[in-house]
Amino acid sequence: MKSLSTIGPEWIACPYCEAPCLARELLPGQELICSRCDTTVLIHIAKRSLQPPFALSLTGLFLLLLANTTPILTFEVVGRSQSDYMITGIIELCRQGYYLIALLVCFCGIIAPAVFLLCAFYLGFAIVLKMRPPGLKLASTIARAVRPWNLIPVYSIATVVAVVKLEMLGSVAWQPGARYVLGVAVMSILCEQISNRQMAFEQLKKMGVMKKE
Amino acid sequence: MSLSDRSRVNLSRSLVVTGLILYIPSNIMPVMTMSIVGKVDPLTVLGGVHELYDSGLPLIAGVVFLASFILPFAKLAALAWVLFLHGSPALRRERCRVFKIIHMIGSWSMIDIFLIAVLAAVGQLGALASVRAEPGCVVFALVLLCSLVAAEIYKPRLIWEDTWITSE
Repeated sequence: MKSLSTIGPEWIACPYCEAPCLARELLPGQELICSRCDTTVLIHIAKRSLQPPFALSLTGLFLLLLANTTPILTFEVVGRSQSDYMITGIIELCRQGYYLIALLVCFCGIIAPAVFLLCAFYLGFAIVLKMRPPGLKLASTIARAVRPWNLIPVYSIATVVAVVKLEMLGSVAWQPGARYVLGVAVMSILCEQISNRQMAFEQLKKMGVMKKE
Repeated sequence: MSLSDRSRVNLSRSLVVTGLILYIPSNIMPVMTMSIVGKVDPLTVLGGVHELYDSGLPLIAGVVFLASFILPFAKLAALAWVLFLHGSPALRRERCRVFKIIHMIGSWSMIDIFLIAVLAAVGQLGALASVRAEPGCVVFALVLLCSLVAAEIYKPRLIWEDTWITSE
């Protein structure tokens, strides 16, 4: 059973536990809550509500590019300094032979956020501009699959902890990349929170990308 | 790839058991070694927390302690409880709530892995400062992967497998 699919003329599945819920017209401010897991199944949809996630994903992608090309911090001990880029840690872990850790950091810190934001942007682009580029269904599936692995907010907290730890040993200077990492974290959290899956699904269904179950 | 419900439950159970077994060595083995101006310091997960606390940073120490020590175990224990009661009608609502919380906070335990990556990146100043990952971090990463993958494989609908409650 697909989440948020139409079971019958008036029934939809809870996106979390897949319980069938009776759908009805909602007034502004009203929402339909699943009786068994308390998840919001339906909310009243305001017009143009897909534009903010579209803008956020585009901003997030731009910031992610900057976060990967500018140094995050510089550590200095007895006059010698070393800068930290997002990729430097991954390369160093590979050099030390810890490929699993390097892969995990690379996937959760760079690839998953990039893929998530790219898919969100692609879907938003198609829905907001009412276009039908290829692979919309695939983009929706990929976005759902990589969402739990998008750990850029955790990466930004880990950077703060690393700075605190390094300050005990030498001097640390924040670099512009830190702002961009924080920016990507905020954009991806906001994008996840305000994305209206219900509206996106309805729009994709209208465009013939998603089929009624 | 589509897994059957039985495979999902079995695979999740196997991953949780593996994670619980690996949790012990992951906290005994050092996860990294920091060498600063000749002072070599192998650090375990708890050792890093202790060091932060001793340096007068109880808040940061608390965050790392919660994220790296308490959370991985709490997540595995909660998953074990949910999976142990799988198929039973007992405490379904509570299990669903716990599973939701696992999904929400579970990934924060990755903080230590990212911390190693950031420290390894800047700690390459030869004899002055070097940071080396240790095999303990692989074991720790496996614990986290076991809990993350187990939580992704087991679906919340499986908690309600035998009931069909409708809502308005």
